[in-house]
Amino acid sequence: MTEAIYPQVRIVSARFLRPDTAEQLLNRLVQVGGILRMSINGPSIPATVPYGPARGKPNPHPDRKVIHVGDQEVLLQVQVGTIILELEDESYITVIREAVDEVFADKDFSCAVQQGRYMKTQPTVSDYAKYGPDADREILGLVDPRKKGGPVIIQGNK
Amino acid sequence: MKVKVNMAYKPQYGPGTSKVAENRRKQMNPNQKLEKMRDVTDEDIVLILGHRAPGAAYPTAHPPLAEQQEPDCPIRKIVTPTDGAKAGDRVRYIQFTDSMFFAPCHPYQRTYTECYRFRGIDPGTLSGRQIVECRERDLEKYSKELVNTEILDAARTGIRGATVHGHSLRLAENGMMFDMLQRSVLGEDGVVRYVKNQIGEPLDRAVAIGKPLDEKWLKAHTTIFHSLGDVAYRDDKEYIEYVQRIHSLRTKYGFLPKEA
Repeated sequence: MTEAIYPQVRIVSARFLRPDTAEQLLNRLVQVGGILRMSINGPSIPATVPYGPARGKPNPHPDRKVIHVGDQEVLLQVQVGTIILELEDESYITVIREAVDEVFADKDFSCAVQQGRYMKTQPTVSDYAKYGPDADREILGLVDPRKKGGPVIIQGNK
Repeated sequence: MKVKVNMAYKPQYGPGTSKVAENRRKQMNPNQKLEKMRDVTDEDIVLILGHRAPGAAYPTAHPPLAEQQEPDCPIRKIVTPTDGAKAGDRVRYIQFTDSMFFAPCHPYQRTYTECYRFRGIDPGTLSGRQIVECRERDLEKYSKELVNTEILDAARTGIRGATVHGHSLRLAENGMMFDMLQRSVLGEDGVVRYVKNQIGEPLDRAVAIGKPLDEKWLKAHTTIFHSLGDVAYRDDKEYIEYVQRIHSLRTKYGFLPKEA
């Protein structure tokens, strides 16, 4: 769960990003620093065909691949459309705006940086019913806490 | 199929004064020839559909009509069976997803268009996809027309039998509509190729369906009203008036409506 004192921003591009653009953008954000938590959203790219007559067969997809962010490898399981960030303080917002503008300067579509509350602050009754009392509050509201494989931790510069 | 010349009235196909309404009427009118945009072969269509191997015989659901006794039925005397029905083919389908970003067609429009142009079909209309079922050899003939003409755009129309999600999402960086199974891929040369059949099974060879059409062409030929960037629905007064009239009449239907 998030503490209300931390500001949050959401980065929304007008088009879905290719893995290499997403990699470039994420690395630029990591350089800026000041990020406590980050969530990458977008429509899912499943490893196997989820339904239909071909259900269960492998789903080779060029955009489902491993990218390098900071010192870590991240497997992209979605087509990146939105990035949600929780920041240490508001001073980082302008730098993030500049970083995003820099990455999208040579693209023919825009990308917006919005400030607001995008992460859950309190577990709901449904969360309690679904995940029980011991669910990991750090990731509750961002991803399914029952999902195997925890968050990717990228070491900061401090 | 031609509209009978001696009909008592001239069909109007749809209301509206906007360019979008005009495009809709153009697609629906069977006397209007659809512009041919690409040349996908019969074999390519069979590969994308994935119902049978190219060159294989058509599996049958019943013996050919000529070989079986038909009951004495006046309707059967009036209606000529289609080629597929005559041969006793199985019923198979093709399904399309059309992006909301100015695709040349959309589910309701597809159903209207197909009903005016084709025989022996059973279309199913949903918000994000449209399926049409018919006898297999008829299906291949109709699919070829649907794929080769201006009704399809390589990037913003998807031939998707299952896992259709994507019509209302943002486009990808290269302009393609999102597809979880990535059945079609935009190549370096700008040509879109189907690498999987409509249900997501990889094909032995890629099927090229041509280059995506440019934004200007799409906006000129779209049948979708879009308040951001193109003709807004509310700007077509005649369309609104017609839809409101139908809505009002069907709401009042139970109370014996009388028009003033």
